[in-house]
Amino acid sequence: MSKTADRDNSGKYLFGESDFKNSGLAQTDWAAKKQVWIPSEKEGFEVVSIKEETGDDVLVELDNGSQKTIRKDEIQKVNPPKFSKVEDMAALTFLNEASVLHNLKERYFSGLIYTYSGLFCVVVNPYKMLPIYSEKIIEMYKGKKRHEVPPHIYSITDNAYRNMMQEHDDQSILCTGESGAGKTENTKKVIQYLAVVASSHKSKKDAVSGELEKQLLQANPILEAFGNAKTIKNDNSSRFGKFIRLNFDITGYLVGATIDTYLLEKSRCVRQAKVERSFHIFYYVVAGAKDKMREELLLEGFNSYSFLSAGHVQVPGTEDDEMFTETLGAMEVLGFIEDERIGMLKVVSTVLQLGNIEFKKDKNQEQATIPDNTAAQKVCHLQGINVTDFTRAILTPRIKVGREVVQKAQTKEQADFAIEALAKTMYDRLFRWILTRVNKVLDKSKRQSVSFIGILDIAGFEIFEDNSFEQLCINYTNEKLQQLFNHTMFVLEQEEYKREGIEWNFIDFGLDLQPCIDLIERQNNPPGILSLLDEQCWFPKATDVSFVDKLLNTHSSHCKFTKPKQHKEKTMFSVLHYAGKVDYNATGWLTKNMDPLNDNVTALLSNSSSAFIQDLWKDTDHVVGLEQMTKMSESSVASSSKSKKGMFRTVGQLYKESLGKLMTTLHHTTPNFVRCIIPNHEKRAGKMEAHLVLEQLRCNGVLEGIRICRQGFPNRVVFQEFRQRYEILAAGAIPKGFMDGKQASTVMIKHLDLDPNLYRIGQSKIFFRTGVLAQLEEERDLKLTVIIIAFQGRAQGFLSRKAFSKRQQQLTAMKVIQRNCAAYLKLKNWQWWRLFTKVKPLLQVTRQEEEMSQKEEELQKAKELAQKSETQLKEITDKHAKLLEERDKLQEKLQAEAEMFAEAEEIRVRLEAKKQELEEVLHEMETRLEEEEEHAQNFQQEKRNMEQQLKSMISDLEGLNCYR
Amino acid sequence: MAPKKDPKAAAPAKKPEPAKPAAAPAPAPEPAPAPPAAPAVDLSAVKVDFSPDQLEDYREAFGLFDRVGDSKVAYNQIADIMRALGQNPTNKEVKKILGNPSADDMANKRVDFDGFLPMLQTIVNSPNKAKFEDYVEGLRVFDKEGNGTVMGAELRIVLSTLGEKMTEQEIDALMVGQEDENGCINFEAFVKHIMSV
Repeated sequence: MSKTADRDNSGKYLFGESDFKNSGLAQTDWAAKKQVWIPSEKEGFEVVSIKEETGDDVLVELDNGSQKTIRKDEIQKVNPPKFSKVEDMAALTFLNEASVLHNLKERYFSGLIYTYSGLFCVVVNPYKMLPIYSEKIIEMYKGKKRHEVPPHIYSITDNAYRNMMQEHDDQSILCTGESGAGKTENTKKVIQYLAVVASSHKSKKDAVSGELEKQLLQANPILEAFGNAKTIKNDNSSRFGKFIRLNFDITGYLVGATIDTYLLEKSRCVRQAKVERSFHIFYYVVAGAKDKMREELLLEGFNSYSFLSAGHVQVPGTEDDEMFTETLGAMEVLGFIEDERIGMLKVVSTVLQLGNIEFKKDKNQEQATIPDNTAAQKVCHLQGINVTDFTRAILTPRIKVGREVVQKAQTKEQADFAIEALAKTMYDRLFRWILTRVNKVLDKSKRQSVSFIGILDIAGFEIFEDNSFEQLCINYTNEKLQQLFNHTMFVLEQEEYKREGIEWNFIDFGLDLQPCIDLIERQNNPPGILSLLDEQCWFPKATDVSFVDKLLNTHSSHCKFTKPKQHKEKTMFSVLHYAGKVDYNATGWLTKNMDPLNDNVTALLSNSSSAFIQDLWKDTDHVVGLEQMTKMSESSVASSSKSKKGMFRTVGQLYKESLGKLMTTLHHTTPNFVRCIIPNHEKRAGKMEAHLVLEQLRCNGVLEGIRICRQGFPNRVVFQEFRQRYEILAAGAIPKGFMDGKQASTVMIKHLDLDPNLYRIGQSKIFFRTGVLAQLEEERDLKLTVIIIAFQGRAQGFLSRKAFSKRQQQLTAMKVIQRNCAAYLKLKNWQWWRLFTKVKPLLQVTRQEEEMSQKEEELQKAKELAQKSETQLKEITDKHAKLLEERDKLQEKLQAEAEMFAEAEEIRVRLEAKKQELEEVLHEMETRLEEEEEHAQNFQQEKRNMEQQLKSMISDLEGLNCYR
Repeated sequence: MAPKKDPKAAAPAKKPEPAKPAAAPAPAPEPAPAPPAAPAVDLSAVKVDFSPDQLEDYREAFGLFDRVGDSKVAYNQIADIMRALGQNPTNKEVKKILGNPSADDMANKRVDFDGFLPMLQTIVNSPNKAKFEDYVEGLRVFDKEGNGTVMGAELRIVLSTLGEKMTEQEIDALMVGQEDENGCINFEAFVKHIMSV
């Protein structure tokens, strides 16, 4: 898929298709048909139109045309089309179950899985991949306010993040919902978003940053491997609740994280329902561990483990051996060393192996024995303990009775129970150990964290056929969370009302839930369910039945407590939760609450030769040991019970405490609520079971939230919009020209003559009670239709008159033609007329016209000719002028040349004269030269003569000398 | 349901309804879920009060619509004639005067001039009172930009789907030359145009 296409596509899953709200088409049906919702077996609700109202009964017509009478209080109003597929359901003017369901459904079928409902963000599991989680989308949501972008978990996250940065308030994001509704997936998206957004603050210069985010994301596969399993509803169901706390420094940079978990369903590692699986890691290990590791872990085949009752159940789409490698990889990223990894896997293998220890009843005694101790040996080998000690601890543990310590033989049942309890606790401890280990890695940063965002991923309200202690815990949690929500909503509403300057006493609906919470958690006066349960646990000979009796006695008059009438069993009692009545079956609660364990074995384990195992079992003080168990079954009054009492804690107590801690944390944060909805139990995309969804909406507090909303003024319209949309209802009320929004709206509302209790005018918007907007919509619709019809009448008149006047013109024309025809017919046979027609062409007069036209033509031609000539002439003249101009220019040039010539001539003459002169001089010089040469010759001659004379004289002289 | 005055009860106190039958202001399109069948208008009680000139004009116009030659016109032409004669009745008003006939009757039943006159008189007695401002107010609702124009396409949808739905040809004829290059219509000018004839 190309990138642009990808974006276009994702737009479809965020914004929805075209805007239908204001189209005239949608408007018509609603106003005309008086539609309402009535309950329906199949669809939850269906749309019908009201035919007749008589007293408390209403006659309605169904879609298929049939009619039906129904009680008035069973119908719910349909919202005007303006509200179709609204992004925030709190804006709906008719806030009712049917409308909420309808809106969610409409959006879901359009691929829009996120919808707001007031403070809630409701998300329906799409059961398919949607292109709405890409980097691009993250970019799109960065720094945007909630109402600026389509609903999305990113928007919730981003707002929480910005809030934290700006207000320095800690934040929490609470994801709840049924199993398979997508809590964990959405939690992951939150972390993914924050990992991207919070690390982009400081660029890549900090190498650690990348690592922390990587580790954070890799922590999940490990937790999932150990804490998730395949169930009927969900292939990757988290079997624990978790609270992830992401810590940020002052600059909004992610510095660390811690993870808390709640209520791991540890019984799963001992037995599972058909087609369900135990925790993933068991399958990963058995399928994935090879060669040396396999030997070291003493692994066997899938079918040889009795704790994996169904053998190797596959999860579609994943391969267990590949997942094993992946899990090991994740451990490496988180820095688990080799010893730790092997240690963990050994525990996993041990848990499986424990299931294979078989006990037999001794022939003549009650006492249990182990006929074949291969499995026990393997267990001991893996755990680094002595086999003999182990079997003795199981079969004949030492128990304190009174002040003495005795060895007490165990029955087969007791031994089986002890083994299972051991397996469960062992796994539970392993899980906690992993968590601590992961937290150590994630929270090692030295940088100061100033604020955090907590993400809670916990099961929602549960109402099953058979509800046990676990359900009570989870429902108790949800009761508390709902209280938090109600309170938050109360505070926010209060603020909004104050901001808008509206007088209204909002009731704190958080208080609504207090009685139920008290019923469960109250310490004393009267003690709540959990306290009573604890109390019964210390009571000798107490049973589940006596516990329920005690409950009935204490709370018979409590408004949230009843005894179910249809159930005969003595262990049943009911609690009226906000989400509905839940029947609890208290069978086994005392044991569940104490969670007893063979302390002989735990002592052995805490002294194991393996450091890892020792570490795992280092704090065994709080374990409910065997003596407590013994006390339960024996009549003797345990004298040491009081001193022991403070030593260990019940499951209920521990849970109450951790929940209390969680609530304190959450109360100090600004909570953001995400509600996950599972649309069907078949894991199928595009299918929504109405009743299933309704049930969830009830359980997760969406409907409760709406109920609260309705008490106040849930619909808010800003002045501008109010005026634009409803001005038609107050035509003429607002004077022409400018008027400010508030004033205009006030005038309009006065004109509308509404009951003052139905609205409040704030600073920037008008607040309406539920349903008022629909009324206005309806009136607007009626008014609009009336005007449109009148206008259509007018328009039809316009068209008819246009057509009519055309017809009248045609009529006139026709009359003229008719007259002429009639005249012709009359004259046709009149002789004179015939003569006239014959002669007429011959007459000059008649031809005049013809000639005229001929002449005209000639004239025309002549005219044309003249015109042509004229244009030609004009052309020629133009040319002439141009040529003349040219000639002038040339003449000028010529003159200039001539002048230049004369000048040159003059110079020439002068030069000639000079030349003559010079020639003469030359001549002269030549003659002189000749003369001079002659002279020179003469002198030469003379010189020669002289020389001769001299010579002769010399010789003369010589002769003279000789003579001498 | 919140206590709120019945809109219908409140209606007469406010702007006068343009349509005469205040008993059933519900804008029921075609198969109206049985609006309390309005009592057929008693035409015999209507006093025809037109001048001789008018009568002559009317007769002539009436004649123009007779396509058969029996000096009668079909029921489904009545509205057209009334409009040609300057009235602006809604289809519903006309149907009511005709005694809410079936579609078959509309096409087949015929009426002569004398039968037609009281019908015309009834309409003339209660004319379409909506004013220019009312229409403008109504169309302003579709002015998304708040700049005095509406999209031609939107107006087409409104006129063809709301109220007494108009056909495509009718709307085309109505909007000829009204849309600017962006497909927008100045609705005040448009209303003026419609009201000009």
